[in-house]
Parts: sequence; C-alpha cells; structure tokens
Amino acid sequence: MKKALALLLVALISLSAVFAGGSSESADDGKTTLTWAIWDYATTPYYDALIDAYEASHPDVNVEVIDLGSADYQTALQIQLSGGGSEFDVVAVKDIPGYNNLVKAGLLADLTPLAERDGIDTSLYGGIVEQVTVDGKFYELPFRSDFWVLFYNKDLFDAAGVPYPTNDMTFEEYDALARQMTSGSGASKVYGAHYHTWRSAIQLFGILDGKHQITDGGDYSYLKPYYEMALAQQADGIVQDYATLKTSNIHYSGVFYNESVAMMNMGSWYIATLIAANNDGTSDAENWGIVKYPHAEGVEPGTTLGTITALAIPSGTDQSEEAWDFVKFVCGEEGAKALAGTGNFPALTNDDINNIIAATPGFPTDEASKEALNVAQLYLEMPLHDKSAEIEVVLNEFHDQIMTGNMSVDEGLAEMGRRVDEVLAN
Amino acid sequence: MLKKKESEAPAFTANGLPIDRSIKIVKSKAAKREEVKRNLVAYSFIAPNFIGFAIFTLVPIVFAFALAFLNWNGNTEMTWAGLDNFKYIFTNEMFLASLKNTFVYTIGTVPLTLVVALFLAIVLNQKIRGRNFFRTVSFFPYVGSLVAITAVWNMLFNPSMGPINEILIRLGVEDPPRWIADNDWAMFTIVLFSVWKYMGYYMVIYLAGLQGINTELYEAASIDGVNTWQKFWYVTLPQLRNTTFFILIMLTIQCFKVYDIVYMLAGAGSGALSQATTVLVYEIYNSAFRYWRLGVASAEALVLFAIVLVVTIVQFKLDKE
Amino acid sequence: MMIESSGQKVLKVLLYVFLIIMAAIMLLPFLWMLSASLKQDRDVFTFPIQWIPAEPEWGNYSRIWTQIPLLTYILNTVKLTIIVTLLQLFTSSFAAYAFAKLRFKGRNALFLGYIATIAVPWQAYMVPQFMMLRGMGLNNTHLAIIILQAFSAFGVFMMKQFYEGIPTELCEAARIDGMTEYGIYAKIMLPLAKPSLSTLTIFTFVNTWNDFLGPYIYLTRDNLKTIQLGLRSFIGQYSSEYGLIMAGSVVTMIPVIAVFLALQKYFVEGVASSGLKG
Repeated sequence: MKKALALLLVALISLSAVFAGGSSESADDGKTTLTWAIWDYATTPYYDALIDAYEASHPDVNVEVIDLGSADYQTALQIQLSGGGSEFDVVAVKDIPGYNNLVKAGLLADLTPLAERDGIDTSLYGGIVEQVTVDGKFYELPFRSDFWVLFYNKDLFDAAGVPYPTNDMTFEEYDALARQMTSGSGASKVYGAHYHTWRSAIQLFGILDGKHQITDGGDYSYLKPYYEMALAQQADGIVQDYATLKTSNIHYSGVFYNESVAMMNMGSWYIATLIAANNDGTSDAENWGIVKYPHAEGVEPGTTLGTITALAIPSGTDQSEEAWDFVKFVCGEEGAKALAGTGNFPALTNDDINNIIAATPGFPTDEASKEALNVAQLYLEMPLHDKSAEIEVVLNEFHDQIMTGNMSVDEGLAEMGRRVDEVLAN
Repeated sequence: MLKKKESEAPAFTANGLPIDRSIKIVKSKAAKREEVKRNLVAYSFIAPNFIGFAIFTLVPIVFAFALAFLNWNGNTEMTWAGLDNFKYIFTNEMFLASLKNTFVYTIGTVPLTLVVALFLAIVLNQKIRGRNFFRTVSFFPYVGSLVAITAVWNMLFNPSMGPINEILIRLGVEDPPRWIADNDWAMFTIVLFSVWKYMGYYMVIYLAGLQGINTELYEAASIDGVNTWQKFWYVTLPQLRNTTFFILIMLTIQCFKVYDIVYMLAGAGSGALSQATTVLVYEIYNSAFRYWRLGVASAEALVLFAIVLVVTIVQFKLDKE
Repeated sequence: MMIESSGQKVLKVLLYVFLIIMAAIMLLPFLWMLSASLKQDRDVFTFPIQWIPAEPEWGNYSRIWTQIPLLTYILNTVKLTIIVTLLQLFTSSFAAYAFAKLRFKGRNALFLGYIATIAVPWQAYMVPQFMMLRGMGLNNTHLAIIILQAFSAFGVFMMKQFYEGIPTELCEAARIDGMTEYGIYAKIMLPLAKPSLSTLTIFTFVNTWNDFLGPYIYLTRDNLKTIQLGLRSFIGQYSSEYGLIMAGSVVTMIPVIAVFLALQKYFVEGVASSGLKG
C-alpha cells in the first residue's frame, strides 16, 4: 500500500514536470517576440483580435500574452517591473492610480518623443492624452475608452406603459422615471433603477457639471444632492439596498439579465457583454436600449464619466522600438477597427467607429441608442493626480460609509474632505 | 525495543527544558571538545531548515526592516528618511485605527478559538459514533477556498435578506444587527467568522496533542476516584501545556496578521476598509502596493513585529514559570 | 476521558445534539457551495436562497476544464504540494529535534528569532524577496514556490512542542546504549511523533494547495500556474463567473479532504498505540 502510494506520487511528479516543461519556450525561428502583460485573457475577445490583426501585417513578430489577472493587476504588474527588471515589452495599464505609481517609480518609458517623431496626432483621442500628461510628458497611449450611459429594459417600460428614457434627461426627470417604474414585490419586484456598489455609480454624478475635481479635497458638499437622491431611492425601495448588494456580491449584470431593474447606469463595456449574454441565452433582457447619462440643469447632454485602458512600454525593455510599433498599431486606426469589431470602444473615436459598433448584431436598432454613443464631454473617473491612489482609497471608504448608513451624508462628506486634505498635505 | 522501560517515566517531568546531562563538572579540554562536537551535531540538525530559511526569508526581512528608515518606491534610488516614516504612521489616523482594531480582533478571537478548539478536540477524542465524520466536517471551513466561503458567509449574514436575520426576526428580535454593514457589529462578525474558520484547524493540533498523553495517568486518576472534570483539570490540561502554548502563540501571531478574511468580508463591494474594520496588514498592503511607499510599509511592519515580539516573549516567560 | 457511565446518558444525548448542530453550521456553507456550483452565474446570489437548483447546470463542471487548463494547474499544484510537504516534514522534524532535545550555544536566541519572523507579514518583504529571487533567475519557476514554502519556522515550532512532550529519558537511555543523535531522531523520535507529523502534513498540504499570493507573484506563465490562480481567473474586471468558481472550489477541495481522511487515523493512534506500548 505504502509502496503503491509512493509510486503514484513519483509518477505524478514526473508527469507534471513533463507538463510544465513541455510548452515553455517558443521556437527561435528568427521572429521577434513581444511579451504583452494583460488581464482577463480568456474572457476578453479583443486581445486575440488585436494580436491577429497585428501579426497579419507584421509576419516577423510574435506577440505573447501574460495574463496577470484583473483583481490585483496593477500590484502584480508593478512587482514584476520593480527594480527595472522587465520581461515585458508592452504592458496594459488598467487605471489611473496604477499609471501614476508606475510613472512616479520611473518604470515607464516616455512616449512623447516617439509620438512627436512619428507624427501621432494626440488630439484624436478626445483630450485623454492631455489628461494623462505629467510635466509635459505622457507615458501611456489609450487604446480603449469606455464611458457611462444609462441602460434600460424596453419590455419593462412597455409593460408599464411608460415612455422610454431620452437622451436629454435631467436628474429630476430620471428620479421621477425611476419611481414611476418601480412595481411589484417579492420575486416579481421591479426596481426602477440600480446602482452598482462602485463609488463611480453615484458619487461621480456630482462632477459632471465640470465645476469640481474629485481630487481637490476640501468641501465635497456638491456631492450631497446625488447621495440624497440615491439614499431616498434606497429608502423608498426604488433601488436595491447598498448593504445588501455589497454583502451578497450581487452583480449588476445578473439583475439586469433577470429583468428585475428597469434602468441602470453602467459603462459602455456592458454593451458587448449584454449582446453576448442575449445571444447565448444567459440574459432574459433581450429588448434593451441605451440613452445618454442624466445631467444636471444647464449641463450639455452627453456629458459623462469615462475610464480608459492604455498601453505603455516598460523602461526596462530592450525592444522598445518594436514595442512602440505595436503600441502605435493597437492605439491607432487599425487597432481601433479591430476593437470596434468586437463591440468595444476604442479610445480613438470618430463616426466610423460608432457606426461599426451600432451595426454590431444585437445592438439596439433605435436611433436614440445610436445617438447615445456620441459623447459631448468626458471626465475621467479618477483624474491623474500625484496622490490619486491614496485619494481613491478615501473616496471609496466614505462612499461605503454613507451608503451603508454608518454616516449621514453631511458627516460622511465632511470626513471625506478632511481626510483627502490630510492626504494632500502629506 | 528499549521503549518499554521508559514508558513508566512520568511524562510531565519532560516539560520545559530537557535535563542537562553535562552539568558543569570541570571544563577540561576533552569536555570542551565534547561541547564543540555537541554544538556541531545540533547545528547539523538545524542546518537544512535554517539555511533555506535564512537565505530566502531572513535576508529579505532584514532588508525590509532597513527600509523602514528609507524612502523607496521599488525602483528609483532610496533616500534616507530617518524616523520620518514612523512619525508619519503614528500621526496617520487610519494606521492608529488599524492598531486598535487588530488588538480588538485578537483579544476577541484568541480566547474564543482556543476554548472552542480544545472543547471540540476533547469531545471528538471520545469513542463516539461518527467521530471521523465530525472531525472531517470541522476541518472543512479551514480547507474551503476563501472566495467561496466568504461569499457564503456574507450571504447568510445579509442584513436585509439573509437567513440569519430572518430567523432572528422570527424569534422576535425587532431590529436585528446589520452585521458587517454596521460599524458597531462589523468586527464582531469578523471574529465570529474567524472562530468558525479556524477552530477545526486548532482542534487538529489539540487532537494530536491529546494522543501524547500517557493513558496511565488517567488510569491512575481513576483509581484515585476523581471525576471527569477533575481529570480534565488536573491531568488533561497540564498535559496539553506544550500544545496550548504553541497554539496560543501561533493564534496570536495569526490574529495580528489578519488581512484577507477582513478584506473579503468587509471590503467587498467598495474595495476599501473603513476606520471601523481596517487592520494592520491592510494598511501595510495599502502602503506597499497601492501607494508604493515601501519605507512606510516597512515601518508599519516593524511596529507589528515589535508588538508580536513583546507578546511572544511575555508568553514564553509565563510558560517558563 | 470516557463519558460512558450510565448516569451520563443525558449528557451523551446533549453531546450528540451539540455535535449535529455544529456539523450543520460547518457544512451549511459547503452545501451552498455545492448548490451554487450547479447554477448559472446570475442565479448564484439570489434571495431567498434556493438550495436545490431547479435546473442543475452540470455544464459548470465540464467548463472548468476547458475554459482554463485546469488539468495542467492541478498537476502543477500536486507537484508543488508534494515536494513542499516532503521537504517541510524532513527539515522541520529534523531541526526541531535539536531545539527540543539538544543543548547548544544560542539555542534560545535562535529559536525566538525563528518564531519572531513568523510575525513579519509577507507583504512587508515581498518586494525585496521577489527582486532577490528574480536576480537568481527563479522568477517563473516552481523552484521559487518550493523555496518559499519549504523552510518555514511554523513546522519547526510545532514539531519542537510535540517532541518536548516525549520523555527525555527515552533519549538518555538510547545515548547510553550508544545510539547517535541521528539514530535517536530516526528510530525513536519520528515513530513517536506520528500524530504531529500527520498534523504537519495536513497543514502544509492545505497551505501549499490553497496558496494564492506566492504563485500569483512568481508564476505568471500558463504552463506553471496553480489551481488557486485558475480559480481567481474566473473573477473578471467587470463580471465574475461564480458558478465556475464554486464548481472549481468543490473539485479542488476533494484531494484535501481525502488527505485529511487518510491521515486522521494517526491522531487517534499516536503515542499510545504505536509508541510506548509497542
């Protein structure tokens, strides 16, 4: 018995050694291999679309992806790059605080001279490049840009006999609509709206008038009307309770698929997800549409929040020219087309791109949904700031405190201001 | 074998330090050579573990401690910080809150886990039906993947729709606690979770410890006519001293280092812990991997280290008495 | 120790009631896990909890093998776990003997140093350690994980505590009989330490099996990754596949439970049956 067990163990070890060694190194056939750090490879269709497009036009280059996972992507990336030792030639940058950390540590190559040399027109990125420029230099180029819109379930509106939301709605109109659309109870309850647990979903309504920077600290009372709206909706059963969502991992896509919410503000990444879910039967919300974000009085419709995904080149790579060529491709016209073909939004925007997306099978056919893709003004969910990582933690903390009811809105916002000021002072 | 004879020796004399056979007679040359040889033999036992441990753990730790007095972001040059990092953390209210919460958590978790684990071990050391089943089941929470079990736990304790609160309401509790979503209850909920998750683990150590007790001691006690409780108090407990000591130290250290369960339970949703739930290692994680202030992270770790060291030394001293 | 006398029947009934309640509390989350592993993602977190899925989604159990290279991950994990456990058992039980039964210079200081390092959170020295191991060319090798896991102070401490419960007279007698210290370790201590060795085996096994952070930092290539990395890959940026996470958790828990069941008999037979009375 013991011997058999020992033999089995030995067999398993050698078997796994074979597995581990089997596919490690790609053959050296004179090709350049670019190593690209990304996250969520298996569930994100556009990586392969981009790589295939690039390799088709560059037959001498091999692009290899390393998936670092999404949850702690920036941490893992920065550890891998620490000390300047890099096995990556190109890295995807997931968020602004992470970008800021990498830049501060001097781990990314300055792309400004390369862009100037090759005549890259940064104005095509709708002002995003300017927003990631530090001291006149930028270290990443965006390839994907998502913006927030309002998703709604047409069947629920039809059933209630309520007209669809429009591309020009104030917050008062939105709130009234959400209340009108709430009905039923128990398992058949329909919530008029839905806020995911992210702070962006509520907090950042407040910055859309362009008068405030979320990183400024000090007086955050301008966020008060929005927190009060959300808390009142929560108290009246118009939206699901934050504490419940938080502690039960209830995911926004599930509640929308199940047709239990009428409207939901969410990023444009959800368009591709929703189309796919409707195709494979995961979702029951087959009849849906999007409209522009609600807006405050006097603010242009189509003003919304954005989040970008960018590419950067580690300063430690010895293939920076080859890497730059890849970055140019992915962030440029050709990359944008490949990306749009998968239903995702490239950072390089123009009417062509929106047409490609609106033509995706499964995208709503009404004019309003297509019109909703036109962004008037985009504010980053987290603007670039020397302390953006610290500030983000504070913003998240007090969003949670206010929404769980542990602090009143006034108390929470005052504390938030005080703590952000503390971060800024240090 | 020669084990037979020695089995009669009462085991409890072996507690604490082994008896020193080389009581200083005269330090002759031969004795000195003997001593060197003895040291070498001892070192040879320790070497395989110690060399690996020293190179791969001790060296980075020493390096990290030095970092506490430096500013470093993991790449560019280090600059001297002196005591700045310590000044910073001791004026940082989140760090101070994390110190307090970690103490509260430790004080809540250690005794409870210890008692429950010991109780379980003694019960499951009896010859009872289904013993293997019960033992295995108590070990489940320790084995289960953290993502899965924290998700379940949060569902069960969901403030508005969870079964726990539904039962409480049915039992007549008008305003059941909102558990992890309430600042006043959050830490308690986390303690409850920890005890649940780790009691099986420490039960296993106690079970192994119980096997080391010489059954003759119980037989002797039975002849003397002592009752079950007295047997527990005068035989089992003293005999488990080594085990208890080990568990006490490991449990304390583990509590001071708590991080992932707190983050998964209380940080779910927003991704940030509040002043009510933040713990030391979360602050260390933030300093190191969110802000990349490795010097600050090291200073925080050094404080944690100092606290645990003091507590451990106190425990060692108490054990010796 | 035995609660057998007839007057204590009531106590016994109470005991069983307690045990059954306890078992229920322990098992409930796992029953939920099992049930969630048979659901679609969107149904996993719905209230009221549906314990038996209306239409069991058996597909989750086949998809975990195709969506990620789970077999490779399992083999990697098995390999790492076995090597680490063997190394840990040997080096810990070996070193602990010196700490428990030998006198030598610097013993107490060295031992305290060992324990104290357990208190340093890994997050604090992860970066220097990573840079060091990368410098040695160990990034993206299984050796890195083996090195990190195999030489822990925990095992030494635990074994030492158990050895100290073994009468020193046993060693003394063996020394008088002319046995070397190595002989005493191998022929006397190890057989007596079976309960603690099996405990250490279980703990090391579980720790290595469930380890996430180490592999996450050191193993970025697909052919090297472990199960826990695979499970986390179901948690995506904008959506998580909980059905798959639960199915994966159920599958990967089976080997650990098997090891526990296989070894737990040693908790019962320990010194009493295999050692002193042998």
